[in-house]
Amino acid sequence: MATVPKVDVGTDYKEKYGFFVPEEYVFKAKRGLNPDIVKEISWMKQEPEWMTKFRLRSLEIFRKKPMPNWGADLSVIDFENIFYYLKASDKQSKSWEDLPPDIKATYDRLGVPEAERKFLAGVSAQYESEVVYHSLQEELTKKGVIFTDTDSALRDHPELFKEYFGTVIPPADNKFSALNSAVWSGGSFIYVPKGVRVDIPLQAYFRINAENMGQFERTLIICDEGSFVHYIEGCTAPIYTTDSLHSAVVEIIVKKGARCRYTTIQNWSTNVFNLVTKRAMAYADATMEWVDGNLGSQITMKYPSVYLMEPGAKGDVLSVAFAGKGQHQDAGGKMIHVAPNTTSTITSKSISKAGGRTSYRGHIKIYPDAKNSKSFVKCDALLLDDESRSDTYPYNDVDAENVTLGHEATVSKVSDEQLFYLMSRGITRNEAETMIVNGFIEPFTKELPLEYAVELNRLIQLEMEGSVG
Amino acid sequence: MALTLETLERSGVQGDEPDWLRERRLSALASYERLPKPSRTDEEWRRTDVTGFDPAAFAHFEQELGHSTMSSSVPDGVIIGSLLDSAKDHQDLVRSHLFTLIDPNRDRFSALHGAFFTGGNLIYVPDGVTVDEPITGQHFSYENGTSVLPHTLIVAGRNARFNYIDEYISKKDDEDGYRSGSAEIFLGEGAEVGYVSLQKWGRNAWHFGDQRARLEKDSKLKLFNVTLGGRFSKTRVEASLVGQGSEAELKAIYLASGEQFFDFHTLQDHRVGNTRSDLLFKGALQDVARTVYAGLIRIEKGAARSDAYQANRNLVLSDHAKATSIPMLEIDNNDVRCTHGATVGPVDPISMFYLQSRGIPEATARRMIVQGFFGEVLERIPFEHARRLVETELEARLG
Repeated sequence: MATVPKVDVGTDYKEKYGFFVPEEYVFKAKRGLNPDIVKEISWMKQEPEWMTKFRLRSLEIFRKKPMPNWGADLSVIDFENIFYYLKASDKQSKSWEDLPPDIKATYDRLGVPEAERKFLAGVSAQYESEVVYHSLQEELTKKGVIFTDTDSALRDHPELFKEYFGTVIPPADNKFSALNSAVWSGGSFIYVPKGVRVDIPLQAYFRINAENMGQFERTLIICDEGSFVHYIEGCTAPIYTTDSLHSAVVEIIVKKGARCRYTTIQNWSTNVFNLVTKRAMAYADATMEWVDGNLGSQITMKYPSVYLMEPGAKGDVLSVAFAGKGQHQDAGGKMIHVAPNTTSTITSKSISKAGGRTSYRGHIKIYPDAKNSKSFVKCDALLLDDESRSDTYPYNDVDAENVTLGHEATVSKVSDEQLFYLMSRGITRNEAETMIVNGFIEPFTKELPLEYAVELNRLIQLEMEGSVG
Repeated sequence: MALTLETLERSGVQGDEPDWLRERRLSALASYERLPKPSRTDEEWRRTDVTGFDPAAFAHFEQELGHSTMSSSVPDGVIIGSLLDSAKDHQDLVRSHLFTLIDPNRDRFSALHGAFFTGGNLIYVPDGVTVDEPITGQHFSYENGTSVLPHTLIVAGRNARFNYIDEYISKKDDEDGYRSGSAEIFLGEGAEVGYVSLQKWGRNAWHFGDQRARLEKDSKLKLFNVTLGGRFSKTRVEASLVGQGSEAELKAIYLASGEQFFDFHTLQDHRVGNTRSDLLFKGALQDVARTVYAGLIRIEKGAARSDAYQANRNLVLSDHAKATSIPMLEIDNNDVRCTHGATVGPVDPISMFYLQSRGIPEATARRMIVQGFFGEVLERIPFEHARRLVETELEARLG
């Protein structure tokens, strides 16, 4: 296995690369959630007063909001028994040996380099990629692009931050966005100035410091007029965490004529409740694309949405879910057409295996002013055995004139004809099924950068053999 | 004012019915008193506003004597008659089926119907009997501001074959009142039943209907629902496929205009394997009408080799009409084929252009497109008599 030589980080690390050195403030809040803990988090981060108030107000809202009574069963979450602020360095204190064997085995099978594995497993921060990161940062800075973690953005770009933060997803949006607003930490902040195209995808993983994989990460992306950025969150290899609850908020603003693509491949270990709110506002002639893959976690509830705010805006969700034993992937997308001549598509592919359950849940809302809008939803589900389950819950509300809306869904098993054809060519049943599944999700895979596509295919192969989870 | 035991006793709907039926009414009345009003937080009622409906305002009940006819003589053993009379004359048959498929405890309106149903028909066709002539049932409302709550009980024996239509007719087109029209349909092994429901109550009426069928082995149901009347109409169409080889075809058309609001809930419940269901609901909306369609295909765990199809198509003819469509799937078995789809859209401008370029005036062209839209599904009306009735009715309404 290839190892990359370590770079000495040094004391001027933070100044040079915009990183935190985690050891500077190792901190672990007490379990539970109350105003004191929230104040303490804000104080530890030396935040301005408005943010402290914002957090406290959000906590109030969180306490008042009822739990969602639809989707997966969330009653098992014990909010009082969670650490709301853990410095990542605490998580790093674990050693490689402490990891569950199935996670280690998966890394071996995926061929993830050892240093990267350790990062993925939360064993240590990976500084090897910083060379790449450094040259990338220089280029970005030249163009005026800001790419940093959200905590630093609050400190270094306070005006820009305050203008947009919490405007797409207010704390009162839902119980979990309120929770995130109260205790958020980490996540990415991206600002792309007018007319700037960022050619290489920005990956959270270039910017690795201990915080970017937090439980309550908060991402804010602003694409100014005519700009373009592709952001990639997460990795295909399973991320091991002892946290039982992951509740992120991602806000994106895509201004006139800009385009933003946000790619996620979520592969949390199967003890995690992954309850995420992701939303983008797309203005005139802007394009927002969510490419969303869900493989890990015990329960995921995630519906990336696009608010089409001005004429000509376009929204796109491409979603893949794979549910194995004990997993419930409740995923989908939402398109809210506010302005005329807006278009949206949602394509969902889901696979259930070994008693897993996938649910597509989506909402198309076309407001009275959104004349001449078009929306199309397509959901395909593949059930690999008779223990598994697939559901489709699409909600379509049309309030405007001259709107075209379509929804199609199919549920099927791997067809006997396809299997027979492949097996008659000497391919084993398992390989044949894997090929069929990979073919089934191909519309998703082809939208990924090559290295992710390759890893995803391998991961599907592992899932199919039942060696993961 | 509320509907109470006293209302029930004074209503005259009971006649001299047997004790067991009286008990069923009382138990439904108790459910009505116990059950809360559906609220907007309840998924089924989120888009369906019943706050303006007060059943007590229509506390005068029109008793239904049941009008069912056949042009030729009734074959031996076949029972076609009033439900209230049959409750006395064919006690065992009615008692063992009535309100066993439709649950009066399901919600407040089901309970109300269970307690106050004003009559209706019983159609019983014994094992092996085929009735060639279509059987027709007609339910009338004569007065404004009353309650008319007919109930149809259909029991098909093994290999029985017949067609039946329920027509819901108001004497005046702008009539107000509380109306329901429910049907319980039991299909024995190998039975084949065609059922059509044609709802044309007055334009201001409140209508609640439950149509529920249970299909035994190798039976076939062709159900066709036509909804035209009422300011508010909520219909549930549900088929439980409990026997292997059974097939349910559930089709509907609706034409909503003015301020009408129509709500449809459908369920294709595949309890066992080797079953087929095929659903198509097509609606056209004019003026400021609103419709909601929410349908579910449920394939239970052991129901392998099931094949289910579900589609809802809405043609929106005006700028302010609104259609909501929620087609849902819950699939618990992998060896199945399930497909569903929904569309909401305006008249296709290319078709309009084509027709107008041939000198057809705009209004006529639109009507032709609507007729064409319904045409595909009208062909599936299971028997000629009903098809003619529906076509005539549509013709008149499309102008």
